[in-house]
Amino acid sequence: MDAEARRRELAAAIARVAGGDRAALKLVYDATSAKLFGILIRILSDRSEAEDVLQDVYLTVWQKADAFDAARASPMTWLIAIARNRAIDRLRSSAARRAEPIEAAGEVADPGASAVDWLQSEQERGRLELCLAELEAHQSAAIRAAFIDGLTYETLAARAGVPLGTMKSWIRRALIKLRACLTR
Amino acid sequence: MSDDPTIERDEDFAAAEYVLGVLSAKDRRAAEQRLARDPAFANEVAFWEERLAGVAAGVTPAPAPERAWTRIEAALARGAQRQASRGVWDSLAFWRGFALAASALAAACLAGLIYVGSAVSPSPLLARLDAEGGKAGFVAAVNTGDGSLTVVPAALLAPAAQQAFELWLIPPGDKPHSLGLIDPARPVTIRVPKDLLKQVAREAVLAVSVEPPGGSPTGAPTGPVIANGKLASL
Repeated sequence: MDAEARRRELAAAIARVAGGDRAALKLVYDATSAKLFGILIRILSDRSEAEDVLQDVYLTVWQKADAFDAARASPMTWLIAIARNRAIDRLRSSAARRAEPIEAAGEVADPGASAVDWLQSEQERGRLELCLAELEAHQSAAIRAAFIDGLTYETLAARAGVPLGTMKSWIRRALIKLRACLTR
Repeated sequence: MSDDPTIERDEDFAAAEYVLGVLSAKDRRAAEQRLARDPAFANEVAFWEERLAGVAAGVTPAPAPERAWTRIEAALARGAQRQASRGVWDSLAFWRGFALAASALAAACLAGLIYVGSAVSPSPLLARLDAEGGKAGFVAAVNTGDGSLTVVPAALLAPAAQQAFELWLIPPGDKPHSLGLIDPARPVTIRVPKDLLKQVAREAVLAVSVEPPGGSPTGAPTGPVIANGKLASL
């Protein structure tokens, strides 16, 4: 089955979840939980917290599946957004807990190494990589670290050893360039 | 903050920054509120979510342990059970609404409902369990026909962590007998044990005490009594 067909199947499963089909939720879970769990571990740096949030994520999918609009978003985008938002909220609420992420930010910048990921559109990812490559190295590294680790401007600045204003400026300039490139 | 003239106002970046994940908890809440009422902002968030999701491709997947799905299934089962039993009896808002409005009337309604609900029931009993300050803490009604006792929270009482609320029956001149744990957040119906049923009568007192999780270890109340009231017939 090609990637497009699998994406359609995932979208159809989410539609069935909206109708209260538990077997469909299991299909969605089996197809996507490893990816989402990886994302959650990365943001939370803690497997057991990631497990808690993973449960939240699929219960949210169960409750909000009717809000998923296949015409508007790809299913994986929708799921990743739910997972990241939950994880980032959890991270912010445990402000006292400021564990260092498992890896340093620099190591994230390794897009080529990722296996072919059917869950996301090859074409769109290709476009994104192209646009990220047009940024200066410190800018694309900051964008990746922010997205993958869910870090605040403050933490990103501290990690990179630059003033807060500089980090904001790096990222905002990168966002302006990315927007222009992605809509080109 | 910046020497770049194109970087002007914070809000121009709020959607992208929300998706990127660099905002503080406070700014995230503000973004979410805007998301709910500003379609242009919502479109902008959707744009970035779709375009940036590819960054996550660089994250190594990690198989979740099997218990993760088991926990999800269990939570779904609990949810389904709640859904199935959700009627006016389980609607806390309903109970709280009328219980707070007028507790005497509330108790009468509760008893009336029980009476209507079981036409063969002999006279139902009810009690308003007052908390400190004379405010209703719980309203209880007994269907003496089938020995069921419904306890409805009438105020926002919450046990501290590691504590539970236990309901006691205290017949006149007798010691307290446990009727089990009750839930401060929703109505609970208890089946009164057969040997106690006769003592669930007018003038008997119902009381709620604070106990360790799982209930009193001694069989008698060990913590403070937070609400109590006498049973009366309708």
